[in-house]
Amino acid sequence: MSNLLETVERAASKEGAETIRVIHLRIGEMAGVNIDALSFAFDVLSKGTMVEGGKLEFERVPLCVRCQECGLDSQMNDFIFRCDRCGSPDIEILSGREIEVDYIILDDECDSGQEKSAY
Amino acid sequence: MHEVHVGEDLRERNREIAGENRELLRKHGVVSLNLMSAPGAGKTSLLLRTIPLLKEKFRICVIEGDIQTRRDAERVGALGIRVYQIQTGGVCHLDAAMVHTVLHQLDLDSIDLLFIENVGNLVCPAEFDLGEDSRVMLLSVSEGDDKPKKYPLMFLESRLLILNKLDLLPHVEFDADKAKAEARDLNPYIEILEISCKTGEGIQNWITWIENFYKNREVS
Repeated sequence: MSNLLETVERAASKEGAETIRVIHLRIGEMAGVNIDALSFAFDVLSKGTMVEGGKLEFERVPLCVRCQECGLDSQMNDFIFRCDRCGSPDIEILSGREIEVDYIILDDECDSGQEKSAY
Repeated sequence: MHEVHVGEDLRERNREIAGENRELLRKHGVVSLNLMSAPGAGKTSLLLRTIPLLKEKFRICVIEGDIQTRRDAERVGALGIRVYQIQTGGVCHLDAAMVHTVLHQLDLDSIDLLFIENVGNLVCPAEFDLGEDSRVMLLSVSEGDDKPKKYPLMFLESRLLILNKLDLLPHVEFDADKAKAEARDLNPYIEILEISCKTGEGIQNWITWIENFYKNREVS
């Protein structure tokens, strides 16, 4: 959580912003993150920061894999790490482990004259 | 209002520090295992069984991770080996930076084998690489045989799964074959041992596993 706040505050400061309205996170289906716990921690720890009162949004990223034997790409829903086509256990995870800040939405109220840097 | 793309993985900093830890441990020839499980699955009990059987052969050190108290460190320290306690103060897992701080306080040249006992939790510890050589997870039969698919990442990330509390099998509804099959669905390469820290059943297999792991790590 402290990583999250540091990351978004750094990104917002670079833009000269003082308030972060939205943090949009991409969380993989296979990520070891409890979204309820993260939301709770966010509410508590964001107090007194640039993010206070802001919204934490979550986007779930499906677990997608590629078989290293036959090359089949597929979406996995049952957590069985074997290729649907050839049965190989040699599976590479393509997506579904993300815990990342995709984008943030900043409030420009205080720096309306500097919008040129924003786009 | 305007949108700013960030695209940053929140584990990146942890990964960097874990990489430093790994390099440091390798440089000093320390072989390390990260023990993970739910609270009460028997991580400390396993260490209490293990250390007396290995301490003549290896110079052992233990890092204990707990949210509060030094109880585990006191129990393990009574065996006459070096123990360092990390109190996370509310954080539900160890991270690489916490371990990094401890590694810099240790005389790594005088350690062969390092056990890192993570905070009891089946979710978050799996996301935090500490720089260890391998991850070992415990599942006790009283937790239920449905855990692998409920906590998939932990099983995916572990090299060895230890089923503990075998002595309780007659008293609980735990289908060991089902648990093992589910674990292998998630991780076809996972190794599995079955033990009881209470009776000592299977402990020798675990000791052999560590000895082989140490030997192979030394060679690699």
